[in-house]
Amino acid sequence: MIEVERLRKDYGMAHALRGISFRVQRGEVIGFLGPNGAGKSTTMKILTCFLLPTSGRATVDGFDVVEQSLQVRSRIGYLPESTPLYGEMRVDDYLRFCAEIRGVPATKRRAAIDRAVQLCGLRRVTGKNIVELSKGFRQRVGLAQAIVHEPEVLILDEPTSGLDPNQIIEVRNLIERLGQEHTVILSTHYLQEVEKSASRVIVIHQGEIVADDTRDNLVAQMPAAVVSMHVRAPQDALQRQFGELLPGRALSIETMPDGSLRVRVEVGTGAAPVEESIARLVVKNNWSLLEMLRERSSLEDVFRKLTMSAPQAGESAHSATAEEVARA
Amino acid sequence: MREVSVIFRRELKSYFLSPIAYVFGVLFLSVLMYLAAQRQIVDGQQASMQAFFGLLPLVFLFFLPGLTMRLWAEERRSGTIELLMTFPVRIGHLISGKFFAALAFLAVLLLFTLGLPLTLATYGSLDWAPVFGAYVASLLLAGAYIAVGMFWSSLTRDQIVALLLSLVSLLLLYAFGFPVVAEWIAGFLPTWGVDLLSGISPYKYFESISRGVFDTRDVVYYLCFCGFFLHANALVLNHRRLKG
Repeated sequence: MIEVERLRKDYGMAHALRGISFRVQRGEVIGFLGPNGAGKSTTMKILTCFLLPTSGRATVDGFDVVEQSLQVRSRIGYLPESTPLYGEMRVDDYLRFCAEIRGVPATKRRAAIDRAVQLCGLRRVTGKNIVELSKGFRQRVGLAQAIVHEPEVLILDEPTSGLDPNQIIEVRNLIERLGQEHTVILSTHYLQEVEKSASRVIVIHQGEIVADDTRDNLVAQMPAAVVSMHVRAPQDALQRQFGELLPGRALSIETMPDGSLRVRVEVGTGAAPVEESIARLVVKNNWSLLEMLRERSSLEDVFRKLTMSAPQAGESAHSATAEEVARA
Repeated sequence: MREVSVIFRRELKSYFLSPIAYVFGVLFLSVLMYLAAQRQIVDGQQASMQAFFGLLPLVFLFFLPGLTMRLWAEERRSGTIELLMTFPVRIGHLISGKFFAALAFLAVLLLFTLGLPLTLATYGSLDWAPVFGAYVASLLLAGAYIAVGMFWSSLTRDQIVALLLSLVSLLLLYAFGFPVVAEWIAGFLPTWGVDLLSGISPYKYFESISRGVFDTRDVVYYLCFCGFFLHANALVLNHRRLKG
């Protein structure tokens, strides 16, 4: 459905995208993750034909975003970051305008608007001016605008930013419903958003794709799970005995105000459960175990690991410059 | 054409939804009618609309930049341009829709001035043909000014900057149409430069049409003038897609 090949975008001297490539199949829901300024919005703006790429190719349903932008634009629904809307218009007028300009035939227009209003829960506010709406409703109008013409591809740039927790859940549920009928690309820094609805996650960092996989695979890539426990024990003895029990594992010990110890041990994922032997060790030494739990690595860890590793990023930045030199 | 009409209707409606348009309309008409009445009395002319139409180039010059300054600058500042430009609509259609909506808004305002010739016609015999011609000429002139103002609006996200740039450039264009100014610039410009500058001034062409002399060359001039600035407008918008 969407194919992106070695897409680059430079803003003057700054490289927003350093040649990214990915594919999206029909019906997939893709989560774009990345810190601010990573290139998520730029990618979306190129896919929606708002910006032209510096080099590289992108197609939507086989149509090139540069050469056949009208065909591309008629197949997408787009919610830009910060949801720009014409505040002075009434919600229903605005949606009618969007349906008309998107070429929804006059006979189907009413039904199309009704469907969007229904899906986005806008029934109560159709007669209101957009300026009078709360942020959550504005966001829903933005989503309604993006789906009113039943596009094949939905591109949503940070659809939940700036909303309160209740609104976030509402919008997230809405996106999940939309994901059943449309191909969706959504960007976010809320990881829960993609954990729940996205079938695949693409992590972008400094204009490059650092990961592109299903959520589960990404989490599985995390090398270490951590067992964390709260123990009352003499620190020296505990450190020595743990070292014998789990040789080579990173161990961190923190003394709590009441003299007890907060211990974190890295254990490999998939390794035999160590909780049992730890418990036995504690009992054998007559220490007391106050709490023990396994910290699951989450997408958040993956994200932090992928986007905080400075040397890796430095390397790739370096190779990009080398490529430029070669090109010049 | 469908796209142009959709954009046109939305734009035109947005004029009537915003209070600024009403303030603008009332001010524009008040100033215009006041000045026209003044002139009519001072000159003591017979039933003719010449005094009124003679005012238009200058009144347009001060008012139209206020109408056009928001056309693109506002869309850019609020970000709505991002949705507008990702609709499956050619840039030319977007520009045409906005251009004709601004022109139509002005035409509605000019409709209110019809009271003037109607009054004159009841008290004396008024030759309607030149009046009609002058209204057409006014719309052509307004179109030229709107095209210039819209072009400047596309270059900035600050409406005030767009307003000032439009004012200055229109004032210059206006001034070049006067022989006095032409003589003055002849002092340091080659002849072809002077001809060029006075040739592009919309003011000159307005003079003859507003007197009821309908010359196709004048009309062609206005169409080219508008076409030039609207095309430049499209180039600016396209260029921004490349630069980001």
